[in-house]
Amino acid sequence: MKIGIPKGLLYNNYHPFFITFFSELGAEIITSVDTNKDILNEGVKYCIDEACLPIKIFHGHVSSIKDKCDIMLIPRIMQLHKREYICPKFCGLPEMILNSIENMPSTINEPIYASSEMKLYEWALNAGKRITKDRRKINSAFNKSMNVQNDHIIGINDSNYEINVALTGHPYNIYDDYINMNIVKKLNRLGIGVITEEFTDEKIKNSEVKKLFKKPFWTFARNNYGFSVSSAKNTSINGIIYISSFNCGIDSVTVELIKYEIENFPFLLLKIDEQTGEAGLNTRIEAFADLLERRYQYENNISSHG
Amino acid sequence: MKITFPHMGNIYLAIKALCDGLGIEYVIPPINNKLSLEIGSLHSPEEICLPFKLMIGNYIQAIEQGADTIIITGSCGPCRLGEYCEMQMKLLKKLGYDLDFIVLDSPTDIGIKELYKRIIKLTSNSRDNIFNKYKALFNAVKVMNLIDEIEASAHKFAGYEKIKGSCKNILNQCKTDALKFDKPDEMIKMLKNYKEKINHVSIDINKNPINVGIMGEIYTVIEPFSNLYLEDKLMDYGVSSYRKLTPSWWVKNTALIPLKINSLDIKRASKNYLPLNIGGHARECIGEAVLSYEEGYDGAIQIFPMGCMPEIVSKSILPTISKDLNMPIMSLVVDEMTGEAGFITRVEAFIDLLERRRDNVLLRS
Repeated sequence: MKIGIPKGLLYNNYHPFFITFFSELGAEIITSVDTNKDILNEGVKYCIDEACLPIKIFHGHVSSIKDKCDIMLIPRIMQLHKREYICPKFCGLPEMILNSIENMPSTINEPIYASSEMKLYEWALNAGKRITKDRRKINSAFNKSMNVQNDHIIGINDSNYEINVALTGHPYNIYDDYINMNIVKKLNRLGIGVITEEFTDEKIKNSEVKKLFKKPFWTFARNNYGFSVSSAKNTSINGIIYISSFNCGIDSVTVELIKYEIENFPFLLLKIDEQTGEAGLNTRIEAFADLLERRYQYENNISSHG
Repeated sequence: MKITFPHMGNIYLAIKALCDGLGIEYVIPPINNKLSLEIGSLHSPEEICLPFKLMIGNYIQAIEQGADTIIITGSCGPCRLGEYCEMQMKLLKKLGYDLDFIVLDSPTDIGIKELYKRIIKLTSNSRDNIFNKYKALFNAVKVMNLIDEIEASAHKFAGYEKIKGSCKNILNQCKTDALKFDKPDEMIKMLKNYKEKINHVSIDINKNPINVGIMGEIYTVIEPFSNLYLEDKLMDYGVSSYRKLTPSWWVKNTALIPLKINSLDIKRASKNYLPLNIGGHARECIGEAVLSYEEGYDGAIQIFPMGCMPEIVSKSILPTISKDLNMPIMSLVVDEMTGEAGFITRVEAFIDLLERRRDNVLLRS
């Protein structure tokens, strides 16, 4: 049996779990290729106009492998932590796909509550039943894939640069090099190091979040807010770059909250959509790099006259 | 303490009755208009949804009239409404206003004690005893239910009325008259009169008007300014419109959530298309679209503000429902830039389409 796993949205974060789980059950894994122009075009063709870029790209990934597999995995990730969501569009993702793309194979779209291992196991049982009836096999596959997932570390933590920026945003915008047009490489070429939120301690992030009147109920809003505000206080970080997809409801809130808090700390908001031109993005990054450089030199340039 | 609140349809009448009953000072912000939208979009973040902008407009206009405390309901669903309070507090503080916020969140998230504390803060200025306080609350709910019923009847009978415009006149008169009364009992009496009046408006039972269901995001559906007075326009066209989402529906639904017996018909109807609650009122929208078909309406109109996350999901499902049930459904997206002419053209074209489907172009003449 062939299982299709689209390479969109949180694939980069959770692919070890899904791939190990299904291959341990004896299924053949079909993944789509990395995001490229064709996938984007397919996605724009099928998806409704109002959705954001990552959702459109996910549609493209699905349509590129829908004829090659017997069952498609559409992860309906409801919660990653208790009392927190990701986004309403994640909760309704299978419906969006099934109603927009025709001739879909059957799908695994049971809701995933990853707030505890027990709840995740419920999903694994339901999904595993589609492939094998052997419960022991599902159990061992689940345990193995949990181990693999826990060993999977992502994140960027450059150390040998003088100027560093905190790169924030939803993971699917940061780790998809097609969406963000290789921003990490571009920054490195300009002599700027990149640090992502995975390397900041949860406690530091949460202590910033606790100062808010109400705890954000989106996982990535909490992460990005905590990370950005704490890095504004961190002396080794010189600026924040926030990658946000156009029309992202969560970012429209998070970015404002960050701006209220960090005041004059250098902050660059990069909006991306399916029409972003690379030249415009380059100009903005270069301008921001110049700004950081001048601030850096100025700060270290203490006048000898006192 | 002078409290104020954001507008949402006719909810201001209920809050007026509540505050009059409790004896709290309050300011009703000017009914949503171009100026409040302008003020709101000037100060609000660019990408936030329309209700936020209108609310900011309401607050600032009310503050100019002396308000210093704002009541707002919260939520902890994945929809942006839950974050409104946080952002609005910071935004108004940045603009230099010194305000108190009373956020009525669901007790499951802040704890029943905290909710109780916030309600006490609200009623602390009232010198009435606890019995009178409850009475004021019941009166407010009564006002809300009555005005919702009157509005629903007006929208329904607009298709059947003998004298064109009579339903709309009664409804408008009712709204202006309601503001004149400072005692909740008198207001209720007056609303009951109007209810009688609207239920006995002269109608032609042989007419067979176009029936349209209205659904979508709760604020833009209920607040007439945000949907460019769509329902009033439908009344002018002689179309009967039906809307399930009302403030009284919301109160009833919220009260029944802990028992899990809230809006069972919607849950049943949406089961095949969207089996889970994904936040906002996406599931209700899908359920209502199916219910509209079951009720035998000719078509359905979905309204939502630009960028509304739950409604984007339901918008992608609606074409399938439309195809499956053979019922036209139109989605209207509103934001602060919506031009009225383009909007009217689309609504008119949709009504024309519904008429032609009945093979009777002269239906409304």
